[in-house]
Amino acid sequence: MRARITSYLVTLWVVLTLNFLLPRLLPGDPLAALLDPQSSDYVFDAEVRAALEACYGLDRPLLVQYGAYLRGAVTGDLGQSIRLNEPVGELLTGHLPWTLLLTGSALGLASLVGLLGGAEAAWRRGSAADRLLTAVSVVTSNAPVYFLGMMLLIVFGAELGWFPLAGGRTPFSHYDSIPAATADVVKHLVLPALTLTLSLLGIQFLLVRNNMVAILGEDFMLVARAKGLKPARLKWRHALRNTLLPFVAHLAAQAGLAITGAVFIETLFQYPGMGRLIFEAVGARDYPVIQGVFLLVAIVVLTANLLADWLNTRLDPRLAEEVSR
Amino acid sequence: MTEPLLSVQDLHVHFLAEPADGRGAGAVRAVDGVSFDLAAGQALAIVGETGSGKTSIGRALLGLHPPGSTWGSIRLAGLELVGSAEAEWRPLRWRRIAMAVQSAGTAFDPVYRIGEQIAEPMREHLGLPADEAATRAGALARRVGLEARHLRAYPHQLSGGEKQRAMLAMALSCEPEVLIVDEPTSGQDVLSRAQLLDLLRQVRVETGLCLILISHDLAAAAQVAERVAVLYAGKLVEVGTAREVLEQPRHPYTWGLLNAYPNMTTARDLRGIRGHSPDPSDPPSGCRFHPRCTQAVDLCRQAKPPLVEIGGRLIACHLGGLQTLLQASDLRKAFSSNGKGEVVTAVRGVSLEVYEGEVVALVGETGSGKTTLGRLLVGLLDADSGHVVFEGQDLAALNGRERKALRRRIQFVAQDPFDAISPRLTVAAIVREPLDVQRFGSVPERAKKVRDALRAVGLPAEPPFLERRAHELSGGQLQRVAIARALVLDPKMIVADEPVSMLDASEQAKVINLLKEVQSERGMGLLLVSHDLALVRKVADRILVMRQGQVVEGGPASRVVTRPQHEYTHALLQAAPALGWEVGQV
Repeated sequence: MRARITSYLVTLWVVLTLNFLLPRLLPGDPLAALLDPQSSDYVFDAEVRAALEACYGLDRPLLVQYGAYLRGAVTGDLGQSIRLNEPVGELLTGHLPWTLLLTGSALGLASLVGLLGGAEAAWRRGSAADRLLTAVSVVTSNAPVYFLGMMLLIVFGAELGWFPLAGGRTPFSHYDSIPAATADVVKHLVLPALTLTLSLLGIQFLLVRNNMVAILGEDFMLVARAKGLKPARLKWRHALRNTLLPFVAHLAAQAGLAITGAVFIETLFQYPGMGRLIFEAVGARDYPVIQGVFLLVAIVVLTANLLADWLNTRLDPRLAEEVSR
Repeated sequence: MTEPLLSVQDLHVHFLAEPADGRGAGAVRAVDGVSFDLAAGQALAIVGETGSGKTSIGRALLGLHPPGSTWGSIRLAGLELVGSAEAEWRPLRWRRIAMAVQSAGTAFDPVYRIGEQIAEPMREHLGLPADEAATRAGALARRVGLEARHLRAYPHQLSGGEKQRAMLAMALSCEPEVLIVDEPTSGQDVLSRAQLLDLLRQVRVETGLCLILISHDLAAAAQVAERVAVLYAGKLVEVGTAREVLEQPRHPYTWGLLNAYPNMTTARDLRGIRGHSPDPSDPPSGCRFHPRCTQAVDLCRQAKPPLVEIGGRLIACHLGGLQTLLQASDLRKAFSSNGKGEVVTAVRGVSLEVYEGEVVALVGETGSGKTTLGRLLVGLLDADSGHVVFEGQDLAALNGRERKALRRRIQFVAQDPFDAISPRLTVAAIVREPLDVQRFGSVPERAKKVRDALRAVGLPAEPPFLERRAHELSGGQLQRVAIARALVLDPKMIVADEPVSMLDASEQAKVINLLKEVQSERGMGLLLVSHDLALVRKVADRILVMRQGQVVEGGPASRVVTRPQHEYTHALLQAAPALGWEVGQV
């Protein structure tokens, strides 16, 4: 396990460095607006512009900026947003819970439905239900997530009016009780979470189904059948239990996918999560915010991977042995 | 006889082939009409090559094939199983019929401990509480030679042999009436193989269950089962007691299978059955073995042979099994040596048989009468008394024309090619001569036959070589030309008299291997007359030892070489040059 953690730390460093370099490779810079005579933010005075650059440290050599960035990342000081003039740390802590709520509930729901549905479809492989579900999954997993979101928004938000159109909660509202607050948050969560669930579900379903079909063809499943075990026991205790191994490994990769999916969805639903923060920060070349957001996303994905690795060593005795060795 | 515990009648297992090749779905006929009965406590071995359908039979007995692919009848103590629904099969599986599957390496669920997997069916079928099932799993493990630590292990932590044992423990867990063991020894080293077979025998004695051993391993079959059923391309070809079938196989396939089987007691080189196993989705017409059979006749191509009782065993062969190609009975021959009326008796009452596709070596020292016997057998000499019958025809009763026709069927290769072949003839003329004599086909056809024969013996078939004269060739080349000359008429049998004695050791090995190869490829009978026991044991199926005009000992090559009965054979073996070494190995 120690080697594994070391490899994660190395990965984290690579991610940190990329995270520093990539925004700077984008055309334009955070102070571009200040230099543009067309812009309302245009600063005429060259000295003021220089002072501004110095203030954000943009005039220093890249290597020095990198050193300051790394130091900040380690100490938790992520700097100030150039655009919003707020500490990046505060921005992140304000947005992260919303994204975690959205991706967590979508991933959980998609996994549950994908596991159960995929297992059933694999068990009845070749049946009409299996073929239908497989076809639908291929379509939904390839449909653009904003298209799915728009459809849900139009039907359930605009037409039926069951759910609010935008936001994470009702603006300017005060709640009398925790249940009331929860109800409002859940109500706002339903449509975006459903959109993300739908976009993840197809892949989850196909993954479970195809892996389980392969496992059903294994020798040990034939033996389990020859042993005269009950169908439920074959399906859940032997086939699905073994399907969990590739599934969990895949789940970590899906965590990253869920967060990128969330960028679109949060923009579409005006949801106050990280997605919108990313979207707006990239538009303004707000380096500290971009760095901070991607750093956080990278940490979340790496943590998810670490968790999945750990979970798999608990699930698969063959891996457990490898790790303890 | 009471009603058998397990009765399988006319069992078929056909699968729909994957229609991937676009030809539409054809049926793979894995099992095609197999019948056998098994009384309680009996053991039957089902033997056959890979793809013969053995495993499909095992799985059919547990109802594991997809619905609709199995028909015929499987009765367990009177209860018909074929056509049962999955829910009807379930309580029978493992409880009454259990199977130790072939691939023990992948037969365990990788995420559960071995002990748990052995205990699982006991909880399921016998309703035992978890702790009692675990205790019994422990007892079973001890019985098959495993320890408690093996039960705590996960499958990937056990060796192949340990998994094989655990598989057996698992199969025995519900005390089934019928135990199917599929290839228990495949992939095992010799030692664990022997231990496993011991274990199987012991289990049989202790439990009195009815055992079906599925194997390609003939020796394993003989050690565990008292009856053997030989399966070829989904059909049984021979069924009998293990001793009968394995020591005196009667079906040509069984015979070929035994020859292809490595055995510690045989010094002979291995030989596969010629040709390939048939495609199960498109089996040959008639007898399925006919394309590979050395004795096939037209009937074999046209009609399926039924499995009928012949001499106490069941054989599916139109000809009633392996044919006798050449039979000699009580042959005698004497020569008057010097006109003074002094008579030398060269052959005094020899009887022998050569079966289809068999290599028999006739071994003896100079003056033992073996050359004379060889010449008697092909009709180059006439016997004073006794008969030679070749393919049902008595040689003595043939007229001139028939005798000439006989040359097409039986050929003779002489000891000294320089002596037997005119030195001034060209290679082409030497090989073509028998065709000319027999007035075979047209001139181009004869030329093609000549080239084929030369290629078969590994000689060039191009003009410069064809035009060479016999005296320009080396001894080895000339002997090959002589063999090509014998082959050119596609004979059914060749009698070769000391075919390699004039050659050096390395050439000897090459030519003897060549003869064997050609014999095996063409499915001929071969009688090899030689003084060199060490050399012929490499190729002979049977060895006859001759001394002073009589056969003093005969039997399977392995037995004659390793356990000679006659003191003369002993002496020959002692005299053989360093028998421990491979003679003239190339």
